[in-house]
Amino acid sequence: MKFKPLALAATLVTLGAASFATPAMAQEQYIPLLSYRTGAYAPNGIPWANGKQDYLKYVNANGGVNGVKIAYEECETGYATDKGVECYERLKGRGASSFDPQSTGITFALTDKAPIDKIPLITLGYGLAASQDGGVFKWNFPLMGSYWTAADILIQHLGEKEGGLDKLKGKKIALVYHDSPFGKEPIPLLQKRAEMHGFQLNLLPVTAPGVEQKATWLQVRRDRPDYVLLWGWGVMNSTALKEAVATGFPREKMYGV
Amino acid sequence: MLYRENGQFKTSYAADQQIFPILQDRWALGLLLLVAFVVMPLVGSEYFFRAILIPFLILALAALGLNILVGYCGQISLGTGAFMAVGAYAAYNFMVRIDGMPLIVAMLLGGLCATVIGVLFGIPSLRIKGLYLAVATLAAQFFTDWAFLRIGWFTNNSTSGSVSVANLNVFGIPIESPVSKYLFCLVVVCLFALMAKNLTRSAIGRQWMAIRDMDVAAAVIGIRPVYAKLTAFAVSSFIVGVAGVLWAFVYLGAWEPAAFSIDRSFQLLFMVIIGGLGSISGAFLGAAFMVLLPVVLDQLPHWLGIPISTATVSHLVHMIFGALIVFFLIVEPHGLAKLWSVGKQKMRLWPFPH
Repeated sequence: MKFKPLALAATLVTLGAASFATPAMAQEQYIPLLSYRTGAYAPNGIPWANGKQDYLKYVNANGGVNGVKIAYEECETGYATDKGVECYERLKGRGASSFDPQSTGITFALTDKAPIDKIPLITLGYGLAASQDGGVFKWNFPLMGSYWTAADILIQHLGEKEGGLDKLKGKKIALVYHDSPFGKEPIPLLQKRAEMHGFQLNLLPVTAPGVEQKATWLQVRRDRPDYVLLWGWGVMNSTALKEAVATGFPREKMYGV
Repeated sequence: MLYRENGQFKTSYAADQQIFPILQDRWALGLLLLVAFVVMPLVGSEYFFRAILIPFLILALAALGLNILVGYCGQISLGTGAFMAVGAYAAYNFMVRIDGMPLIVAMLLGGLCATVIGVLFGIPSLRIKGLYLAVATLAAQFFTDWAFLRIGWFTNNSTSGSVSVANLNVFGIPIESPVSKYLFCLVVVCLFALMAKNLTRSAIGRQWMAIRDMDVAAAVIGIRPVYAKLTAFAVSSFIVGVAGVLWAFVYLGAWEPAAFSIDRSFQLLFMVIIGGLGSISGAFLGAAFMVLLPVVLDQLPHWLGIPISTATVSHLVHMIFGALIVFFLIVEPHGLAKLWSVGKQKMRLWPFPH
């Protein structure tokens, strides 16, 4: 969660740079906010949406970006792809400078639309990992890495903890993931890493939204993995923590994204 | 005064059996089609097409399919999302695996795959009814959710489980711009609506309705329940499957199984209930209501200048839908379509009611 202020700062810097490069005609920069304050992902969505709004208010209170105030409007997606697309279509017509879809699924759907509309898609630490290749995905701006980066950092940390990546050989790492594009994003990277370092990767999907995880954690109990990577979102996380306690899995061996 | 069929004499069976026997209705429909095909493409904005008209048309088509099953044949189904998903993923696979597969052929093949799955999950309807059948079709929903998430072959082994299609075209005409997407959906929806209307007017439609009203009585007068129920499942899932293809290909462009989750099934069922069980126009009214209400509720506070949080708005939408469904089920089980026909009936007497 420490990344959030950084993420906001990064967005603002990019936007600031953009408005600096082309002296804005209007003294207002419009930023559409896609958020989800309802549904199974609201536990994450509400603080995120509030944080973004607070930061924009703070910037405006300090005189805006080089005197340019930020106008913003929120649209509720409920973390649903079709509603996200509807929000995108509704808000882009009002001179949207960029979109931050706040959802991997919506990012996937908008990736095909953004180049046609020439609107940057800014994904802060989430989104389509392959869009790091700006030559192919010209309108996606994954800032602060993607889920591949996140998974890589986790594996490197585990290696450090064990005293070197080669020490991971023979270890068991379980990935408990949300069964959606969001949860599946890190799998290719983790599989490659497992091949490189010789650890065993157990993939344990949790059906969205993730309120029922008994079966998954029974499997964790049976497999006894050395580490669990928890790739959860919204209510899935709190449920997973409760189940982990019930299973008796040590919390210092669990890593969340 | 204006809406009265005095003097319109039917001189042949064909004239008596046409879909719209009243001249004014034919004019109104012609005008509606003129607006839809000619005026809208000229005046509609991109937002209007992409966010309102296209989802409205596609959901209306899906509701039409569901209405054949629920409204005409009386078989409650909670698996609509599943049949949409089958159509979408089947068409996706035909497009990906066969080079140069035309969109329309892929769409119809997707519909056929949905038909097969629909008939398969319709078999329990021969033995069970009502709520129990609803639960059996719920199995279809959970099964397809599972299959498209976990079986990599269906998603062409996409690592994220999300698939996308691009460069759609029909007879070499690209379906890229909002207007072309809208017109494509409109043509498909009009053709299917005409087909559905004629099916429900034909012998098979009457069999469905007989089964709906009382299946024992229908069986006694010689209607085969197996045939009637399974054809209803087949026709319904075909239409729903085609709607699924349109929803995935034309509206979303990139989708994951969550696009066809249980929520979609419920949404369509609500549309059919609010719009009107057992009527073709009900599907359109219900879809219009379902698509427009959240948009209007989102916009209303802006227009009135009352700041209202987006969370409150979406909770309000749920509350209003819930209240309306209860209201319609109690007061007018035949939904908006019935209100519309009551209105027309009143118009015939206006301004001199008895």
